[in-house]
Amino acid sequence: MEFWDCNSCFGLPSKPSQSPATCETVDDLTAQLDRAGIVRSISWHVAQHDVAPTIGNRMLAEAIRGKDQLLGCWTVLPPQTGEMPVDQLLADMKSHRIVALRAFPVAHRYLLNGATMGPLLDEMVARRIPLLYSTRRLPASYSGQQAWQDLYNLMAECPELTLIVVDHGSWGCDRYFRPLLDLYERVFVDTSMYYIDGGIEDVVARYGPGRIVYGSGLPERYPGGMMMAIGHAQIDDEAKAAIAGGTLRQLIEEVTL
Amino acid sequence: MIADSPLVKAFWEHGRLDECPVIDMHGHMGPWPAIYFPRPEPEQMLVSMDQAGVRRLVFSSHEALFSAATGNDYTARVVRRWPDRFSGLMVINGNYMDIVERDMARFDAMRDAFIGLKFLAAYHNVALDDPRYDKVWAFAAERKLLVTCHTWGHGNMNGPAQVRAVAERFPEVRLSMAHSCYGMWEEAAQLARDFPHVYCDLTAVFECRGALELFCERGISRRMLFGTDLPWFSPLQGIGSVLSADITDDDRRNILHRNAESLLAPLLAAGR
Repeated sequence: MEFWDCNSCFGLPSKPSQSPATCETVDDLTAQLDRAGIVRSISWHVAQHDVAPTIGNRMLAEAIRGKDQLLGCWTVLPPQTGEMPVDQLLADMKSHRIVALRAFPVAHRYLLNGATMGPLLDEMVARRIPLLYSTRRLPASYSGQQAWQDLYNLMAECPELTLIVVDHGSWGCDRYFRPLLDLYERVFVDTSMYYIDGGIEDVVARYGPGRIVYGSGLPERYPGGMMMAIGHAQIDDEAKAAIAGGTLRQLIEEVTL
Repeated sequence: MIADSPLVKAFWEHGRLDECPVIDMHGHMGPWPAIYFPRPEPEQMLVSMDQAGVRRLVFSSHEALFSAATGNDYTARVVRRWPDRFSGLMVINGNYMDIVERDMARFDAMRDAFIGLKFLAAYHNVALDDPRYDKVWAFAAERKLLVTCHTWGHGNMNGPAQVRAVAERFPEVRLSMAHSCYGMWEEAAQLARDFPHVYCDLTAVFECRGALELFCERGISRRMLFGTDLPWFSPLQGIGSVLSADITDDDRRNILHRNAESLLAPLLAAGR
């Protein structure tokens, strides 16, 4: 069983998380990935959130250069300000092995909707570029419920978008994400915080194994926690392989830049 | 997968090991309003426990946590049906001291079901060191009970300061800090170092990489308890986290079963 990881990052956060362990450098991260036996990881740099997307994206590109194990995930900004023109973004993604995008609309103060991001969202649909969205990396003043409402609004406007919801909470979020799985066939959830007992089996029984993908959550999470839950879930080996890496690998291979 | 040692390798391969059982010191049971649980009933929880090699679960039912009048009876019924797999904690809710008095009065007759008490201070909005609880702590001390307290960092209901206050006053109690004062790891470790009767319950701690290593480095490997909040968190996720941590196999065995076995032995004997 090969593990492909959709959710890792590195860099020192400006405000430390509750997890004592960090991966300050990309080499710290790859050491952890190697130890866990993770074949590929879609990673990002915390500076993309904490400092500025333009600076963080550049830091990520430099850090992953020549490291085949890592694929990049950049952070987007609205195109109207000229900070991140869509054509330039797409061209740069190709040259830097960036296969997915993240958005932090609350922290970066814009609205993740068609009015603001329409041209980019159209390209993401056409090129099947996944949007990774963390429902956890939000200011304390912003409720989790509002974050989910934002995703519902986004998908209603852009129903063919490939969306992977990551870090969706140790308090089980099935009541939030399952309607999205019902409505949109290119919505997926990651495992990095999907600790709920029997959750994997239950999601597979209802949706099949193709809607849930492994996320290590490194450096904050122990990567083996959900490896163990996947590896010994009461589902067949084919389903385990799909969750561990097969589905994510396919999503990555579908991206055209 | 991580395979740093024979123990870890064997766990990855088989998912469970008879020679290294798991004892889960922190669970619940039944539905809960804010979360969908696929496996909340005792029969379903036993499936998960068997899947992961969990021999025994110490729990307080959700009903007991949030319905003071009826919930402890539910817990007792489940334990009496599966006495080799479940042990109960009697929930104490200081908002209803008349019910607490009732439950304390019948506790000795229910030792077959209950090995100790459970406080959920922040949820009940009654601090661990609230004077209303003095008689309950004294009751637990007299019987050398396990008292599992929900603890969390940075609060005034069940943070390190409140734990320290009661730990100093009641050294006879076996005090388990559920969630290990989440986020205040150094303070939790210091409490376990300062008081030989205080334990770090690792429920939810498994989501914080580095916390297990920190505790072991602070020398409290013999005071760490495996816990999952089952039916909240998969025991496999907890076990996989223990296997992932950069600690020794000795530490892993302490966490997974040895510490709990030592702690439980006299408590289970008292109920026979």
